[in-house]
Amino acid sequence: MTTFIKPIWGLFVCILLLSACQSNKEWTYLKTIDLADSTPIGLTAYQGNIWIADGDHNRLVELDKEGNIKNKLEGWERPMHLDSDAQTLYIPEYGSDKIIQWNNGQKSFMSITDSLDAPAGISVYKNEKAIADFYNHRILYFNGTKWISFGKEGKAQGDLYYPTDVQITTSKIYVADAYNNRVQVFDKTGKALQVIGQTERMNAATGIYVSNKQVFVTDFENDRVLIYDLEGNLQQSINQGLNKPTDLLIIEKELYIANYKGKNLMVYQR
Amino acid sequence: MKYLIIILSIFALFLGVQPQANAQTNNDKDQFSVKVDGLGCPFCAYGLEKKFKELKGIKKVAIEMETGMMTFEYPTDKSLSIERVAQQVEAAGYTPVSVEVARTDGTIESSQSEVIEEHIEESALVEARFFVAGNCGMCKARIEKAANGVAGVTVAEWDKESKELFVTFDSSLVQQEEIEAAIAKSGHDTTTSKAEEETYKNLPGCCQYERVP
Repeated sequence: MTTFIKPIWGLFVCILLLSACQSNKEWTYLKTIDLADSTPIGLTAYQGNIWIADGDHNRLVELDKEGNIKNKLEGWERPMHLDSDAQTLYIPEYGSDKIIQWNNGQKSFMSITDSLDAPAGISVYKNEKAIADFYNHRILYFNGTKWISFGKEGKAQGDLYYPTDVQITTSKIYVADAYNNRVQVFDKTGKALQVIGQTERMNAATGIYVSNKQVFVTDFENDRVLIYDLEGNLQQSINQGLNKPTDLLIIEKELYIANYKGKNLMVYQR
Repeated sequence: MKYLIIILSIFALFLGVQPQANAQTNNDKDQFSVKVDGLGCPFCAYGLEKKFKELKGIKKVAIEMETGMMTFEYPTDKSLSIERVAQQVEAAGYTPVSVEVARTDGTIESSQSEVIEEHIEESALVEARFFVAGNCGMCKARIEKAANGVAGVTVAEWDKESKELFVTFDSSLVQQEEIEAAIAKSGHDTTTSKAEEETYKNLPGCCQYERVP
């Protein structure tokens, strides 16, 4: 019997050690994708390519996975933090107070029961949607049935101060509470659950990305990206080559950082 | 041949003048160009553009982030002054460097005045460094403008990392406390002078620094 148990036990220990190593492994620099004259604010992956919101130039830029520019779509009004699903690219227009749905070249407006004032970010998860409503200091959230609003101007937990990005996960909503210099986590009724990043003295938490194990935040004025575990413990700080980062995204295990002033995407791996 | 040249010249002159005359009759809007300092954060800069768009009568506002240049049109009959535009930019929490307007009658007005060199005795010049609260490039522009606006100040440079302002000033004309008071009036706390709560609240989001206790 012991002859069977010993190898199984050994294998179990190895798996445990491997998974521990994997979770502690830091992100390291891989490459830089130069965007020439484009200043990226938001990014998403849509139909196999990377899409960038170039707010300064009122356009969207489409890149292939190698970083080659495939297309530039002009004529948007300050496009910001994008999101997408299989069919649709969602573009919050800060200048027009609209959410544009781009579906194979066809434009339509997202129907919202309330008015926005400078939508800075959108997140789409299954049939749920959330919008960071910058000047109204709130999040508008569609739970699949109806829109609700949460957050108000302020500094206390649950309050927001110029939110710029949002992400819906299975059970929570993460908000880049930009000028409160923190990330806030809410449940899907709008109840404040958690504050992340208050001890790091961030200066404008402008963009977030949440994976199943980590929370990534762009600390805009401090030229860095902070990476936390889901409990809010700081795991890593990245600053190499960063110049006013604004958004993040993981595509096929690589972390893409929208480097606004650097006019490029910085790519990290682990 | 001589007559042909004269006729063609008159015809060409007519063609050249005609569009301009049409343009003058059709264009009833003054063209404003405002140079704004310290536009580092896109969220706030686009906000300035957006808030200007919401003002009645203002059309086609655009900000060039690289140059900090904001341009817009405004109906001529409303006689919008360059001082009013500068005030509007400042009220939104930004720092106007210059305002220029091309009126429909062809006149150009500019806020930039001739710089008069002050002759200051070397012995009266004093250097000082002191703390000024702020966050970003826009804060830097506002702080330095406030300090430079005080008569007697010759140099004002604020460092975002250390939060220190380096100033040189003519001590026979002004004292450090007066410079600090002017900076606080613009919305930024120093160790000895505090900004009014209302002024602080009117700063753009990215400039909302941690208040000095």
